[in-house]
Amino acid sequence: MPNIKIASQSLDFHYGAFQALHQVDLNFEEHQVTALIGPSGCGKSTYLRCINRMNDLIPGARVDGRLTLDGEDIYAPGVDVVELRRRIGMVFQKPNPFPKTIYENVAYGLRVNGVKDKRVLDQSVESSLRGAALRDEVKDRLESSALGLSGGQQQRLCIARALAVRPEVLLMDEPASALDPIATQKIEDLIHELKRDLTIIIVTHSMQQAARVSDRTAFFYLGKLIEEGDTRTIFTRPRNKQTEDYITGRFG
Amino acid sequence: MQQRIHFTQKLDELRMQLIRMAALTEKAVHDATRAYLENDTDLAESVVMNDAAVNDMEDAIDTFNLELLALDQPMAKDLRLIIGSMRLTVNLERIGDECVNLAHRTLFLSTRPPLPANARMERLCAHVQDMLTKAVRAFVDEDTVLAGEICAMDHTADELSLKVLKEAISTMVEETRIVERSVHVIMASRHLERIGDLATNLAEAVIFIKEGQNVKHRCKG
Repeated sequence: MPNIKIASQSLDFHYGAFQALHQVDLNFEEHQVTALIGPSGCGKSTYLRCINRMNDLIPGARVDGRLTLDGEDIYAPGVDVVELRRRIGMVFQKPNPFPKTIYENVAYGLRVNGVKDKRVLDQSVESSLRGAALRDEVKDRLESSALGLSGGQQQRLCIARALAVRPEVLLMDEPASALDPIATQKIEDLIHELKRDLTIIIVTHSMQQAARVSDRTAFFYLGKLIEEGDTRTIFTRPRNKQTEDYITGRFG
Repeated sequence: MQQRIHFTQKLDELRMQLIRMAALTEKAVHDATRAYLENDTDLAESVVMNDAAVNDMEDAIDTFNLELLALDQPMAKDLRLIIGSMRLTVNLERIGDECVNLAHRTLFLSTRPPLPANARMERLCAHVQDMLTKAVRAFVDEDTVLAGEICAMDHTADELSLKVLKEAISTMVEETRIVERSVHVIMASRHLERIGDLATNLAEAVIFIKEGQNVKHRCKG
């Protein structure tokens, strides 16, 4: 039996009076890549942000239902949100490196968590950059500013920064939408590599990208989960007419 | 709101090209069987001549499909239509080839004294024509029930072909002078039986396009 890493049951989400998610039931298996697809405003990014409680920061936001990580309620009272976000890392649409050196960007999370040992930091920065397929490109300029990297390199640096705190889950919100095709390809190759150690959930507007990188695909529309299944099936013979219309570009 | 209008138009154009190719193939089967049954050499020669048009359509549709795959990255039912249309054109082109083969039998037999009328060959000709017509209609109407019926009809084509073979063998045993002509009749029945097989493949492609179910090798009567 595959291990369910994250599960949501009857998940509702409100922005004040507006209900953005309706009764979402969805499981994410360990070491699988799941793509969340759907037209703008369908709730896929909102859903993604529920998983590491990024929506907590929005005034008037309210979550109902159940969302678990390894069977434990993410929204239970007393959950350490900082620790939760260490276990569930996130990469955003636009690369957002800190205005610091490449080394310090990757070491940042470790320092925040109290790691001071230079040897431990060096090893972690090295392995995280390697894990993000960036080490060979930056190994001779670790003390240079991260802002001097290309967009694709900056995004992989952000992935390295997320990997440094050894997360179990990586949430990716359109991680390649601001990148050129070569940089996109590198991110997609990286996703294939990372799933050996991580569970990955990716929001993407590119049907081709969802088809290329994911094992499973979930289609959202108007805040509801319309269909979820094996990516090969979703993109060749979806069961639901709305899913088919969306992935064939008939509406959006 | 309807989107991808340009792409949808291209898919409509693909369907139209397939229907045109199917119509040419239907005409080839109609003419080749009539030429055989009526010993009409002019009609048989026209079948041989017209096959180039079917081949040209296969090439044109292949190119069209390649461009659709490369430029439009189709998904789901659109992808199935394109993959299915490749199967359709391959089988339609082969039906055209079998019609040419049948026409060659007609041209050869016309140089020899006529054999008595063969009721089973007449039935076989009508049967495979019916199979092809229904396969084309199933594609046009996206009718998978009709496509399933064609699969079942293939059994009858096989049986008729086998009976033609058995009858020809017993006739040859009795009368050795007609061996050469009978061999050509047997081969003609084989060409017709193959047209039945290929029409069945068309029906299987229709089911794949409509439902995404791959029924190849399972869709037999």
